[in-house]
Amino acid sequence: MSILIMNALVNGILLGGVLALLAFGMNLIFGVVKVIHMAYGQSVMLGMYAVYTLSGIYNLPLLVSAAAAIVIMAVFGALLQVVVIQRLLQANRLNQLLALAGLIIVFENFAQVVWGADLRGIQVFMPVLSVGNVFIKTSNLVAFVGALVVLGLLHFFLQRTYLGLAIRAIAQDLPGAWLMGISPRTIYLVTLAVGGGLTGVIAAFFSPIYSVHPHFGGSFTMMAFIIVVLGGMGNLLGGFIGAFIIGIVTSLAAVLTSTEIAEIIALVIFIGVVLVRPQGLLGVKQHR
Amino acid sequence: MKRAVIVLIFGLIAVFPALGPSSYVLHIATLIFIWAFIATAWSYMGRFGLVSLGHGAFLGLGAYTAGLLFNSLGLTPWLGMILGALIAVGLAVIIGFACFRFGVIGDYFALLTLALGEIVTLLLVAFREYTGGSLGFTLKRVEPSLLYMRFDDKVHFYYLALAFLGAALVLWKLIDRSKMQKALRAIGEDEVAASTLGIPIVRYKLYITMVSAFVTAIGGVLYAQYVTYLNPHTLAGVAPSLDIAFKAILGGMFHLWGPSIGTALIVVLEEYIRVAYGTRFVGISQIAYGVALVVLIMFLPKGIYGSLEAYFRKLRRRS
Amino acid sequence: MLEVENISVYYGEFQALFGLSMSVGEQETVITVGPNGAGKSTLLKAISGLRPAKAGRIIFLGQAIDRLQPHRIVDLGLVYVRESGQVFPQLSVLENLKIGSYLRRSRPGFKRALEEVYGLFPRLKERRDQVADTLSGGERQMLAIARSLMSQPKMILLDEPSGGLAPLIVTLLFEFVAQIKAQGYSILMVEQNVKKALKLCDRAYLLESGRVRLEGDRESFSQEEYIRQAYLGI
Repeated sequence: MSILIMNALVNGILLGGVLALLAFGMNLIFGVVKVIHMAYGQSVMLGMYAVYTLSGIYNLPLLVSAAAAIVIMAVFGALLQVVVIQRLLQANRLNQLLALAGLIIVFENFAQVVWGADLRGIQVFMPVLSVGNVFIKTSNLVAFVGALVVLGLLHFFLQRTYLGLAIRAIAQDLPGAWLMGISPRTIYLVTLAVGGGLTGVIAAFFSPIYSVHPHFGGSFTMMAFIIVVLGGMGNLLGGFIGAFIIGIVTSLAAVLTSTEIAEIIALVIFIGVVLVRPQGLLGVKQHR
Repeated sequence: MKRAVIVLIFGLIAVFPALGPSSYVLHIATLIFIWAFIATAWSYMGRFGLVSLGHGAFLGLGAYTAGLLFNSLGLTPWLGMILGALIAVGLAVIIGFACFRFGVIGDYFALLTLALGEIVTLLLVAFREYTGGSLGFTLKRVEPSLLYMRFDDKVHFYYLALAFLGAALVLWKLIDRSKMQKALRAIGEDEVAASTLGIPIVRYKLYITMVSAFVTAIGGVLYAQYVTYLNPHTLAGVAPSLDIAFKAILGGMFHLWGPSIGTALIVVLEEYIRVAYGTRFVGISQIAYGVALVVLIMFLPKGIYGSLEAYFRKLRRRS
Repeated sequence: MLEVENISVYYGEFQALFGLSMSVGEQETVITVGPNGAGKSTLLKAISGLRPAKAGRIIFLGQAIDRLQPHRIVDLGLVYVRESGQVFPQLSVLENLKIGSYLRRSRPGFKRALEEVYGLFPRLKERRDQVADTLSGGERQMLAIARSLMSQPKMILLDEPSGGLAPLIVTLLFEFVAQIKAQGYSILMVEQNVKKALKLCDRAYLLESGRVRLEGDRESFSQEEYIRQAYLGI
């Protein structure tokens, strides 16, 4: 029994790494552009289809496909900003939510039309390591380490570059940044491109682990919300912590009960946070 | 003048079947009535700023309660719908009280209801020995009768659904005339001010939520009875929940006719695209539908009815 | 250097400025005084592009800027320091100053500008790694002004820099402004503290209800009966 728990714990932590990337993307977009990207998980799904198409159908090497997918999704993110999000900035929050939720329908059905409703997976062999009684899939380990590396790079980008500084400035005080010569539109574009590229990165890590189908994004979008609200909307560190909490909790719950119950537990946590402490773990209390 | 037009429209709709339309057209009309019923019920809450993205929870609870009771005990759906609606109200009370007591409003409320809808869906799937899980279940065969809400001729359900829709619209009007409406309007405009005036915020919000849940659950039963098949993803999931909200908002959730108009337009749009692009490309119709939704929300935030009304008001002011 | 010609600015339906005209010359320090709600801040917001004028023209260094977005106006050398020392709360003092040099044209001169700014405001150098919202009100105001200098502007718009500050700090602040003026920057300053502001300025405008009520150079302005009674308490 405890072996099962150990395995669940380890895998939960590994999963947490990638979820942290998901949370980072959403928090970045929310913190800077101030919109909740309702279709973020679905973007990951599209990224996975990109990897599948490039490596599974055109038979490009996996690394090339992954790199290409990241670029494709970054461009996609930028396009999303220009075509949809920029126009939503004047609208009230509810309309923003709904319009982006409408994108969920567009993305999922687009996937269904192009690739069909069946599962699509890439065939790649990645061995399973065993450390004592714990079995670790290298695909999960690579995803975890990769996620941490990417997070490190992103942290460096935000803290040490002028562009990263500008992004943080816009997030904290838009008019102030504008008055310092920073163009909000440019920053939004970069933010959405980075957010998009991140979905490509997540997709690349997920591709050896999961098969994709048109509704794949659904539970990840929900998971992303839960993590982001738990950690504090817009708070990057909070998202990081929240990702691991949710990763571990859902992993353990899935093993001890069932996947559905695990999801329900995560959702109940979400509801609890919204009711009792809506600013999450690290967020700042907003005056409603 | 307005009343005459309304009577005329209802009259036309009432005699419409006598003109001999195909059963396909009757089918579409019935679907419109049922979903308009549900969208109107959603708008009972929506119009006062309580936007829920999880109304599928009520649909599912209502439909599954009535459907399961029918399949196992042969209970008539008329009773089943009351029971289902009561369960939905129970859920509404729990979650509503929690939210309103803790002051959860706006988009946090919307996200919370989204989570709630997901939870109900997951529960329905998890108890698969009873519910059939993700594959859903079919209502047992039975002889056509009013008691069991089954008919051999599409016309009957057409009138049944129309009657229910009429009842929902009447209920809207009743709510409009009640004290509750004024209180909720005040709350919607400025909650803090309203509470200093002594308006019991939590209580009124709870009432309207209960009403909305009750009627929505009945709508769920109606739908299940019509298609005789229940599936957690088409009834309780994120998709139907968003769908209801879209229909109501696009039509204009602040007006009596808004949700009905929005539903009619969306259902017709969906059907048209489906027919035009053929069932070969099932997804394309949905893509077009999704794109149309996004575009409409971006450019018509007041909804179609609301925008038209505002436009005509502007014209009248100029003259 | 700066010509404001007949601008009208609205907040929705409400009109705040009515065909207002004024100007600032090279290396001039001009102050704008007047009661609350007179439109002084609105004027600066219009010039900086935050709240564009619906009518009229604004010309800076020969270029029309009334249709330009704020970040382009800064690029031309016109920087706006908002009231209450608003800075980036979660960035350090140094990071705030770095943002000041964000513009392409300012980046090469960053190190030199930083040294100059530290020279003017040694306190900021001491606190350079401190997070901005832990600074005192006076320090934040210094930071806000210092940040604007980092962009190597030609003209600075100051919005009530002494607002909410203790009298001792206010004196310090006006000394800074005097030093900045001495370095050759053109300044347009909105101020409540008319006495101190008048001492610094070359010319002054009195704004009331969105219109220019009085204008003149320092001498004649201080002699005006109305100013002496209402604002100088004489």
